[in-house]
Amino acid sequence: MAVCIAVIAKENYPLYIRSVPTENELKFHYTVHTSLDVVDEKISAMGKALVDQRELYLGLLYPTEDYKVYGYVTNSKVKFVMVVDSSNTALRDNEIRSMFRKLHNSYTDIMCNPFYNPGDRIHSKAFDNMVTSMMMQVC
Amino acid sequence: MLHKTKQGLVHIENRRSISSITECSKCISCKGGREERRELWRREGENTVTERRICCSRKKRYKQAIKYFKRYTSNMSRPPGRKQDNHKISRELFVLTYGALVAQLCKDYEKDEDVNTCLDRMGYGIGVRLIEDFLARSAVKKCRSYSETAEMIAQVAFKMYLGVTPSVSCTSATGDEFSLILDKNPLVDFVEELPAERASLCYCNLLCGVIRGALEMVHLAAEVTFLQDKLKGDAVTEIGIIFLRKTEDKKHKRNK
Repeated sequence: MAVCIAVIAKENYPLYIRSVPTENELKFHYTVHTSLDVVDEKISAMGKALVDQRELYLGLLYPTEDYKVYGYVTNSKVKFVMVVDSSNTALRDNEIRSMFRKLHNSYTDIMCNPFYNPGDRIHSKAFDNMVTSMMMQVC
Repeated sequence: MLHKTKQGLVHIENRRSISSITECSKCISCKGGREERRELWRREGENTVTERRICCSRKKRYKQAIKYFKRYTSNMSRPPGRKQDNHKISRELFVLTYGALVAQLCKDYEKDEDVNTCLDRMGYGIGVRLIEDFLARSAVKKCRSYSETAEMIAQVAFKMYLGVTPSVSCTSATGDEFSLILDKNPLVDFVEELPAERASLCYCNLLCGVIRGALEMVHLAAEVTFLQDKLKGDAVTEIGIIFLRKTEDKKHKRNK
């Protein structure tokens, strides 16, 4: 269960960012922003020779005391960043991977919408529903 | 000198090469000769001699004959009528192309009515040409009533071109008005909903134009509109066809 999910465009501006509303949202925005540096580092660290073998899933970007941040980059340099609560240790790597895969699929569906211009903010209901299903249930 | 392998006897120099087997233990021709083969034909019928029963050395000899035989029989089994090019294009490509067309029209025209009219006109142009292809491929008989025509459109034409079969219902007592109800429309696969500023856009208006153009080429004037649209929030997509009075042949004019 994620606490914050963000979709970042190629030019590093957010296309979609949503977090659990009880917390200070600005803090999550800041966390995602700093994680972009780590993402860029990971992409460039691979080097030109390995660009074909580079996996889309980047894994744990960096852990803080409260949260863990995971990243995923598509081949069109669109980044998905997910912030997960550290106390939730039940989440395994496979689950994070499958969540990113679902995000990627929903993103491709949005791209196929003829009325969506690439680079616009994402306002789709289906995407919102999918993200809600992944966010943590706060009672 | 002959060397014995699992498949049969082979010359010692060629014992690795299966194709040079001279005497095959499995092949019916080598084993029993002509009499046994004839017996087998009589028992199982003329056309049971397939490649499997012909051994390798004979197979080399008969390769050309088998090739021509297969090509000849496959030609004969093609259905009569219009030559079918079995090239399939991807459904996603088609849906995305249609979406790009509508999106571009929305950028070119400000008003929704203009976009709808433009789509209808394009559909008309497609319909007058598509009817010939439809009649050639489906080879259906002449429809004797409006309801038969509507059924034909729904069950044959839609199935052939879009892969869906809408249900037909007659909506008027006189038998002039019909509606096709589509619960699945492949053209709107990727469109979730219309943008806010395009609330009265008929996304699939091209289909209305196609039906109108096709009917006009078989001398049936009709008015085709969308009665309900899933993209606008209705439960199903409904296309209404109203057959107008039959146009006279002399007065037949194409409306542009």
